[in-house]
Amino acid sequence: MVLKLTDVRTDLFNDWCPGCGDFGIEASLQLALTEMGIDIDKVVLFSGIGCHGKIVHWTNTFGIHTLHGRTLAFAQGAKLANPGLEVIALGGDGDGFGIGAGHFVHAGRRNIDMTYIVHDNGVYGLTKGQASPTQRLGEQTKSLPQPNINSGINPILLALSTGYTFIARSYAFNTRHLKETIKKAVSHNGLALVDVLQPCPTYNDIETKAWYDGEDRRDASGKAVPRIYDVNSQGYDPVVTSKMPQEDFDRKIEQIFRLSNEWGNKIPIGVFYQEEDRPTYADRILQRIPTYVEMPPAKQDIFGTDNKSVVDLAELSRELAIDATEI
Amino acid sequence: MENDETKGAEVTIRLGAAAGDGIQSAGEMMMKVLARSGLYISTYNGNQSLIRGGHVWFHIHAGTRKVYSLGYGIDFLVPLTQLAFDQHFESVNTGGAVIYDPSIVKPHDLQQGVRGIPVPLGEIALKYDKRPIMKNTVALGALTSNLGVKFEVLADAITDQFGRKNPGVAESNIKAAREGYDLVKNLGAQSFELKYDYSCTKPVLTADYAFALGAVNAGCRFYAAYPMSPASPIVHWMASHAKQLGLTVFLGEDEISVINATIGASYAGARAMCGTSGGGFALMQEAVGEAAMTETPVVVVDVMRAGPSTGLPTKTSQGDLNMMLGISQDDFPRIILAPRDSADSFYTAGRAFNLAERYQVPAIILLDFAIGDGGYSTVEGLDPSFTVDRGKVVSVPSPGAVSGGWFRRFALTDDNISPRSFPGTPDLMFVAKTDEHDEWGHDLSDVNSGLKEFLPLRVKMHEKRMKKLESIKKELRLPEIFGPTGADITIVTWGSSANPAREAVQRLRMQGVSVNSLEFTDLYPLNESEIKRILQVPGKKVALEANYTGQFETLLKRETGIIMDAHIRKYDGEPIYPSEVEKGVLSLRKEVHAVV
Ligand SMILES: Cc1ncc(C[n+]2csc(CCOP(=O)(O)OP(=O)(O)O)c2C)c(N)n1
Ligand code: SF4
Ligand SMILES: [Mg+2]
Repeated sequence: MVLKLTDVRTDLFNDWCPGCGDFGIEASLQLALTEMGIDIDKVVLFSGIGCHGKIVHWTNTFGIHTLHGRTLAFAQGAKLANPGLEVIALGGDGDGFGIGAGHFVHAGRRNIDMTYIVHDNGVYGLTKGQASPTQRLGEQTKSLPQPNINSGINPILLALSTGYTFIARSYAFNTRHLKETIKKAVSHNGLALVDVLQPCPTYNDIETKAWYDGEDRRDASGKAVPRIYDVNSQGYDPVVTSKMPQEDFDRKIEQIFRLSNEWGNKIPIGVFYQEEDRPTYADRILQRIPTYVEMPPAKQDIFGTDNKSVVDLAELSRELAIDATEI
Repeated sequence: MENDETKGAEVTIRLGAAAGDGIQSAGEMMMKVLARSGLYISTYNGNQSLIRGGHVWFHIHAGTRKVYSLGYGIDFLVPLTQLAFDQHFESVNTGGAVIYDPSIVKPHDLQQGVRGIPVPLGEIALKYDKRPIMKNTVALGALTSNLGVKFEVLADAITDQFGRKNPGVAESNIKAAREGYDLVKNLGAQSFELKYDYSCTKPVLTADYAFALGAVNAGCRFYAAYPMSPASPIVHWMASHAKQLGLTVFLGEDEISVINATIGASYAGARAMCGTSGGGFALMQEAVGEAAMTETPVVVVDVMRAGPSTGLPTKTSQGDLNMMLGISQDDFPRIILAPRDSADSFYTAGRAFNLAERYQVPAIILLDFAIGDGGYSTVEGLDPSFTVDRGKVVSVPSPGAVSGGWFRRFALTDDNISPRSFPGTPDLMFVAKTDEHDEWGHDLSDVNSGLKEFLPLRVKMHEKRMKKLESIKKELRLPEIFGPTGADITIVTWGSSANPAREAVQRLRMQGVSVNSLEFTDLYPLNESEIKRILQVPGKKVALEANYTGQFETLLKRETGIIMDAHIRKYDGEPIYPSEVEKGVLSLRKEVHAVV
C-alpha cells in the first residue's frame, strides 16, 4: 500500500513549542514510514517521558508512552514476545542516557532487531531545561544558574562499546538526511541507534538551529557556513564485517573515535558504524529454540479449542517431582 | 481432627554440615528415599548466604499422614561438623538419635533418652575416594538403616543423583552407603520404623517449582528475572525448559528492566511474568503502576526473604505485604495472592494469569523462602486441566469501538473492563500511556489537564480502574478453615504460616484444646462483608504471621474493623515452628498476649 504523510500523521493538537526540533524528527519519521512501504499495522512506537515522548500521539501507528527511562526495556520485551512487530523506540537524552542509561548499555549486548531514536537536545526539556547527560562540561544553557559541572557523554562511543550494530547521528532540521537515516536504521537487521541533534529553542540557547546552521559564520559571499556536515557524503564508509582484517577494523574504530568527538566548528552527522553479520538476539534464540520466529511467546496457542492448557504437565512433573508418574 | 495417629506415624530428620559438603543434595536424596517409601514430606532448607563453609542444614519431616511444616523437634540428627551438633542437639527429641562420626563430632551434653550412634563416616568414605566427600552418603546409609527402610530405595536415589553423569561415582557412593547401612544394622540400633509402602511414591515439589509449573501450564511464555534468592529456582527451571516449552527467558540488567520488559511482552500479547524477592520488587514498583495505568496485565512473584534491605538473603519472612499494599504512587488496583504450599502455588499461578488478564491489572504472588527454595512438600493429584481465560481480547472491531482510525482501548464500560487488542492487529490501533488519558489513550495530562471540562473525565478514568477491585474481590477465595468450625481459639493466618498452624492445631486438639485455624491465601482485595461474617467466631482470635508489625492483622483491621485478641509474630528469619504456635495458643488460653 502506498502511504501519504497524512496517513501516518494524526490530527491531534501538537503542543511542542514553536521551532522545536521535535517537529523535524516527527516529520522525518513519518516520511520514512510512508516511503518504506512497511505494513503500518506492524509498526509500534515506544516512547519515554519527556517532550519527545508525545510523538506516539502524533503518529498513526500503535504506540505506547512508557515510563521515564524505561522505553528500551519495555520495547525489548515487546519485540521478544512478538518479533513480527517493527519496533521503533524513541527517547530523550535524559530519558535514554540518564535515568535509562543502564538499559541503553545492556540493549547493546543483545542486539535485538529494533531502532532507537534519541531526541538529543542537551537539556531535560519537559522539566524546564536542566542540563542533560549530553550537555558539555562548562556549558550554561538558559535555565542553569551555574555552568554545567558534569561532562557530557558521547552516545556514539557508548553505543559502539556496548554492541550496537548500527550507529548514526543526524540533525532534526535536516529532514532529508534524518529520514534516510531512519530508513536505514529500520532496515538494519540488529539494534540501531540514531542520535538526533535536536534544537530546543526554549531551553537550549547554545546549540540552537542558527548555531548548527552556522548563522554566526558567513563566508565571503555572506552565506552561513553550517557546522554540520555529512561524513558519508565525504567518503566515510561505516561498514564493518567480521571478515575484515583487524588493522582495517582498528582504523575504523579510531576514525569513529575521532569523528564522534568532533564538535564546535565541525559537527559530523551520518552513519558511523554498520555491522550486518553479528547475530541478532533472535538469531541467538533460534539456535536454541528453532520454532522461535514462527511461534514466539505472543503467537503461540496457549490453549486448545476447549480453552484447556496445551502443556504436557505429566512429562514436566515427572522430572521435577520425585518420580511422579502423575501428580 | 480427622487424624489422631500418634508420634510413630511421623519422623523428623535434620542433616547439618558446612556449605560445600553437599548437604542439600544429601537431604534431597533422603527426601526421595522417604517419598519413595510412600511417606508425605515437608522439608526446609537451612541455608546461609555463602558458597563454602559456615553452617547449613536440611530438615525433613515425613509421615504416613499428611505433614505440613517442620514438625516437632528432631528425631534423627546427623551432624557432619561439630558446629552442626552444637547448633541442633538441644532440639533432639527424647527417644531420638544422633548419628555422628566420633573423629569429628564430640556429642557432649546429650539429653537423657537421646542415643548417640557413632559411625566412622570419614573412615568409610576414604575407602572410596581420596577425600572424605562421601561421608554424607555413608550417613544416609546409616540413617536409612535406622529407619528400617530397604537399602534398594537409597541405592536408587543415589543412582538418580549421580548415575546419569557418572556411573562410577554412583557405584562407589552406593558401596559407601551400604557400609553405613550394614554397620548400623549390625549394631542392632534400628529403632524407628514407620509403615512404608514402596509401591507408592509421593511426588514432592517446592513452591517455586510448583509455581513455575503452574505458570507454564497456564500459558506463561515469557519469564524475566534478575538473580535473587530465593526466587532464582524459578528462572533456573524456566531457562532449562525454554526449548521444550517455547519459552522466552529474559535475564534483565536489573529488576527495573525485568518488569518493564515483562509488561512490554504482555502488551505485545504474551502471557508474561517476572519474579524476584523483596529488594528487587522495591525496584519494580514504578512499573507496577505503569501496568495498572496502561491496563496491561502482568504477573509478578515475590519470593520473600527476611529484610529490610539486603536483610537475610537465605532466611524467611512474610514482611513484604505492606509493600504490596502500597506499591508506588497513588491508588491503583492490584491483586495479592499468597499460596500456602506447593500445591496451592501451582493453582495460584493459573488463577493469577486469568485474573490479571480478565481485569487487566497487576497480580502479585507472595511466596517465601520457607516454602519456595528448598521447602519441598508433597503434592498429590494436581489437576492439570486448566482453563485459560484471556479476558476481553478482541481481534476485530465491534460497532462503536473505533473512531477516526483509533480503537477505543480504554472505553468506559459497565463492568469497568475495556476491550483490549494486541499491537499488530489491523483496524485496532491505539496508543497507551502512563499519563492519565481518555478512552482512546490520548493525553489528559497536557493541554487538557486541569481544564474544568476534563476534570470529570479524569475522575471517570481513575474510578474505572479502581472499581475493578469491587468485582475482583467477589472472585477471590475466602479463607479456609482447618479443623472443625467453632472452636475456643481460632488462629488467623496467611500464606506459608498456615503450615505450622496446622500441625499445632492437630497437636493441641489431641491435648483437648479447642482450636482451629483460618487460612487466608487471597489477601487483596478483601471481601470485607464476607470476611466479617466468617470472622464472627465465638472464640478468641490469634493472628499468626512472620513479620514484626503484624502486616496482615493490620490489613484485616483496616478493611473489616476486626481486632484480634492476640498475635504470634516471628521475625528471626527461621520458619515458624508448630511448637511456637502451640505455646502462643496455650498462653492465650491463659489470657496472655503472646509474642514468641
Ligand atoms: C522517575 C521519574 N523521574 C523524573 C521524572 C520527571 N521528568 C519528566 S520528563 C523529564 C526529563 C525529560 O528530559 P529528556 O528525557 O531529555 O526529554 P526531553 O523533554 O528533553 O525531550 C523528567 C526528569 C519522571 N517523569 N519520572
Ligand atoms: S521545551 Fe524544548 S524540547 Fe520541549 S517542546 Fe519546547 S522546544 Fe521542544
Ligand atoms: Mg532532552
